[in-house]
Amino acid sequence: MFDQSEDAVERLARHLRRAVRINPALDERVMRAITALPAPGRTTWLGEVWRWLKRPHQLTLTPLGGLAAAAAVAVVVVLTRMDSRPPAPPEEDSRAFQFALVAPHATRVSLVGDFNDWDATRTPMRQTGTEALWTVVVPLVPGRYHYAFFVDDSRWLADPSAPVARDEDYGAPSSVLTVGGGGS
Amino acid sequence: MGIHSVGTSDAALVRRVHAGDTGAYADLVARYRDRLGRYALHMLGNREDAEEVLQDSFVRAYRSLARCDDPERFGAWLYGILVNRCRTAGARAARRARRFVHDPVALETAPLAGPDGRTEWDDMVRWALARLPSESREAFLLKHVEELEYEDMARLTGAGVSALKMRVKRAREQLQAMLKEAERV
Amino acid sequence: MTRAFSRSALPLLAAMLVARRAAGQQPDPRLERLDAATRPAVAALVDSARRALLPTEPLVQRALEGATKRASGDLIVAAVRRFAAELGQARDALGSTASSAELTAGAAALRAGASPTILAQLRQARREALTMPLAVLADLVASGVPVDSAAAAVLALAARARDADLVEFRRAVERDIALGAPPAAATAAAATAADLRVNAGARQQRPGRP
Repeated sequence: MFDQSEDAVERLARHLRRAVRINPALDERVMRAITALPAPGRTTWLGEVWRWLKRPHQLTLTPLGGLAAAAAVAVVVVLTRMDSRPPAPPEEDSRAFQFALVAPHATRVSLVGDFNDWDATRTPMRQTGTEALWTVVVPLVPGRYHYAFFVDDSRWLADPSAPVARDEDYGAPSSVLTVGGGGS
Repeated sequence: MGIHSVGTSDAALVRRVHAGDTGAYADLVARYRDRLGRYALHMLGNREDAEEVLQDSFVRAYRSLARCDDPERFGAWLYGILVNRCRTAGARAARRARRFVHDPVALETAPLAGPDGRTEWDDMVRWALARLPSESREAFLLKHVEELEYEDMARLTGAGVSALKMRVKRAREQLQAMLKEAERV
Repeated sequence: MTRAFSRSALPLLAAMLVARRAAGQQPDPRLERLDAATRPAVAALVDSARRALLPTEPLVQRALEGATKRASGDLIVAAVRRFAAELGQARDALGSTASSAELTAGAAALRAGASPTILAQLRQARREALTMPLAVLADLVASGVPVDSAAAAVLALAARARDADLVEFRRAVERDIALGAPPAAATAAAATAADLRVNAGARQQRPGRP
């Protein structure tokens, strides 16, 4: 019996099995890195020191000394977490959204919005087929996103198939996409 | 195991490296670069991280070549180093803010390819893989892309065969669900 | 051993604390894209929002949007200040446990003209995330639906409608408006249809009922 979903996973696996070409310049970088190393199997004084360091040694640490050490580590860990950057969104919360624009005369289109720091270089769109349909797929976590298409590095276009961002602050057209979920 | 060498055997090249012929290591690197690069690329999702991990794995393998007990199985042993380095790199990447990165990988010609060789299907594949938990992704790639036997996967990953079978099964189920899911705006 | 350890640990700990505090006060590096006059003003607004426990990422994105669209510094600062105020009002209405997604959608609804009372009523009416109901409310008003009509419809649907139902409802209203229907009438009709669908779905999920 024909199972479309099974076929999709096999298609994905076949796609992934295709040959990948890594830049051969990597070989030279590896060889440069290893010329500084001793030939494998020979030992150096550094190797001896390292092996000494790895062997367990007995340290005497009083309870107060141990507490001070633990407290220092805990403070650094807590402060490290107080970062101004948002934490990476968990992969499981994101869903894929396909953005599409018909622009037969464009030579370059990029998707720009709240999900890519409004960086016009980050999410170029691709022409598919012969209809001058430009598309791209982007994973998004729950939230409300302003976005627009940047055409030929000169024109801003709102998405004709999406609500317009009436809370537009800057005059250039933007659209809105809301990804549901993300409750408290 | 599904890793083959051609021409001079891996064991012969390893013996030459031990004898002081560093240049023989270049042959091993060239031999495994693309094959291991494929796994690293699919596991980590971008070329920059994949090449960094690949380079790191080759250097570590050279450094610890004396501990490769069976030079005939150099490829498998190298693979184990790569799998571990990918795990470390994956954990590091998960702590960075996520970005949708333009990755100029030039794969073989596909239908409906755009000017840079990427297609919408490439995006879907990369997205679907990225959404799998890293353990499931690792198991799926080793089984269905690298086409390893479960016993070999167990040796590489340190996990049991039953656990690996379960991870592969879950990965397949999740991928089936996800490949139906992409929505149009 | 203890005295020696304490002598070296305490200055080291102090140094780590100072360094980390200084790092925490560094503005978001993405704000480097703003000009030198605008950057400190926006950084101060973002910092103030952070201290008030409001989400800062939407504010940064609003500033970056302005930078990309080559807006003037004054316009960018005004936009970020306004958005921060709206996020604060949304948090007052929705409660301190509201997520960043809910607060952003709530800010959009407030800007569209919904009152804080409506936001609070939505919070009471619905257990699930409020992101989509608030967004649909804002989007309907943006399409020309009077805010009272939009609020009444969304409130009526919020308790039982899934996010997908609300999106479908919004699309139906926009379609009808595009075909010439008066916005309030289009909203009422679509809300009735959506309510019927939602209730039918709820009945199907209860096994054994006639």
